[in-house]
Amino acid sequence: MTEIVTPGRRAAKHSAKHSAKPMRVRRRVPTRTPHHAARGNGRLGGPLAALPWALPAFAFVGVLLVYPFFRSVYDSFFENNGFTSSFTGFDNYARLADDPIFGRSLLNTLMWVVGTLLLPVLAGLLIAVATHRMRFGGIAQLIIVLPYAISAAATAVLWNFMLTSDGAVNQVLRGVGLDSWAQTWLLEWPQNTLSMIVASTWQATGLNVVLFAIGLRAIPQDTVEAAQLDGASGWRMFRYITLPQLRAVTVVVVGMAIVNSLKAFDMIWILTKGGPSRSSETLALTMYREAFRLFHVGYGSAIALVLSVIVVASSWLYLRRQMPEAEAEADARAATAKA
Amino acid sequence: MGRTVRHLFIAGCVLLWLIPLYLLVVNALTPAAEYTGKPDWTFQGFDLVENIKTAWNVAGIGDSFQASLLYAVVCGLAAVLIAAMAAFAVVVLPIPRPAFWFWLIYSGTLFPLQMFLAPLFGLYADADLYDTRLGLMLIYAAWAVPFAFFLIRNQMTTMPPELTEAALIDGASFRRIFWRIHVPLMKAGLGAAFIFQFTAVWNDLLLGITLSRSPDVQPVMAALTTLNNAYSSTGPPVILAGALIVSAPTLLLFLVFRGLFLRGVTASAR
Repeated sequence: MTEIVTPGRRAAKHSAKHSAKPMRVRRRVPTRTPHHAARGNGRLGGPLAALPWALPAFAFVGVLLVYPFFRSVYDSFFENNGFTSSFTGFDNYARLADDPIFGRSLLNTLMWVVGTLLLPVLAGLLIAVATHRMRFGGIAQLIIVLPYAISAAATAVLWNFMLTSDGAVNQVLRGVGLDSWAQTWLLEWPQNTLSMIVASTWQATGLNVVLFAIGLRAIPQDTVEAAQLDGASGWRMFRYITLPQLRAVTVVVVGMAIVNSLKAFDMIWILTKGGPSRSSETLALTMYREAFRLFHVGYGSAIALVLSVIVVASSWLYLRRQMPEAEAEADARAATAKA
Repeated sequence: MGRTVRHLFIAGCVLLWLIPLYLLVVNALTPAAEYTGKPDWTFQGFDLVENIKTAWNVAGIGDSFQASLLYAVVCGLAAVLIAAMAAFAVVVLPIPRPAFWFWLIYSGTLFPLQMFLAPLFGLYADADLYDTRLGLMLIYAAWAVPFAFFLIRNQMTTMPPELTEAALIDGASFRRIFWRIHVPLMKAGLGAAFIFQFTAVWNDLLLGITLSRSPDVQPVMAALTTLNNAYSSTGPPVILAGALIVSAPTLLLFLVFRGLFLRGVTASAR
């Protein structure tokens, strides 16, 4: 790697000019050509040199997340009540099919997903478009994002105060003469699930507003001006210019909304505990109740696996953007460039 | 959308979003003894301090508040450091199969927590970690690493590799390169990751109620849930004051570091 470089004649002349001393002795100057630096073995010390840097992360994630993950899959094939366990094959999964509580739980989960797509995503889009380039738009956005900085648990406590039978919502309804609309919001299905979706809309919309606002700011001004010259405005501008340009952001917002609605736990646990009589449980709640309240560990693990499959499958589109390989990103970029 | 319609729509939305917040503040200020059983719409007094004291001492929010502060700060910092080191290994150093390591670590954020809970409970019972502060800190750190890793890795890939090469030629060791070049250059990104993970740990409820029981170990959201279960006996003013004090740290972080706070989530959108 090290070569001996003799100072060229020019350098010799140079030094001769400035000093009366005789010509300098040759010196060894170590140099490295770029291909030496690029090869990983020299100073970088082989592939094992990187391992200590990654080891703490692998240890934490491996012991506390990856091992429990596989253990859950394994446990789901056992009948386990916390004390004894016996292998039962796919029995736990077969039981899911004719468990009415699981059916209701699946229906509630679907309601949460659809409700979250309808309310916070749509409201987020509308608010972001309406506040875009508007006076005081920033302040309006700030107020709507504010609940996002509050935890789901605190939001649930606040909405419990709003939704209990003598809470603020019923008080308002009675105040404006709509006595017949006032009802026990959290005690009957389906309005308990619906009102919890509204409560989570109050919290989650702000994030979508922020994301859509970023997307709106990224729309090139030229495109908008060109469309204006062609006479587009109002609905046509929104439908044919704004919406297609927001495609990439929309994929992310929808993906995050679906995943978050599938994972929702805190809000439901505090507002109804999944009740009354397990009518407002989602898959996340059913798993917790089966595994930790009823000690059906194997059955709970089976539900956890079903939930995980749904989460990963439904976030696939969104995940593809985050792959480290360049292919997916190139695909997405090509698609947005075409759009 | 016509201009007037647009303004009316926004004004309506802002009002809808403000009413619950307004009720939260007004009723948290009502003296607990004077609460009539119906939500107050006007200020009835200024007993916030008294209500918070009741929630803090009687309902045990105070102990949990300190415990959660410990969890969120220590685990947030530990997770960011561990994740930054792993990102350094995957992005800068010549580790074989970087994509495999990426997915191994990143998979921690993909799945719902329910997938880990039951075996974790067993593991903790066997290792005597159930209901200990150390146990909760370990799982919070592990839980925070994957997403912090994702954020930091994304930022690290944007740094020119010439920086590392130049430092190597100057004879710097890996440790020096990491602490003197990557960490200072990524201050904002590391800060955003810390704020994100601090908020995530602070807001956690599920891990807290699964892996702990006693009041001085339980995180603050679990304590708030316990307080809320005593809705009729404690009375809304104290409970809402509890919700307010529990939200204070994240609200403060949000208002002071708004850009960094939102950067965590918005980073995944780009």
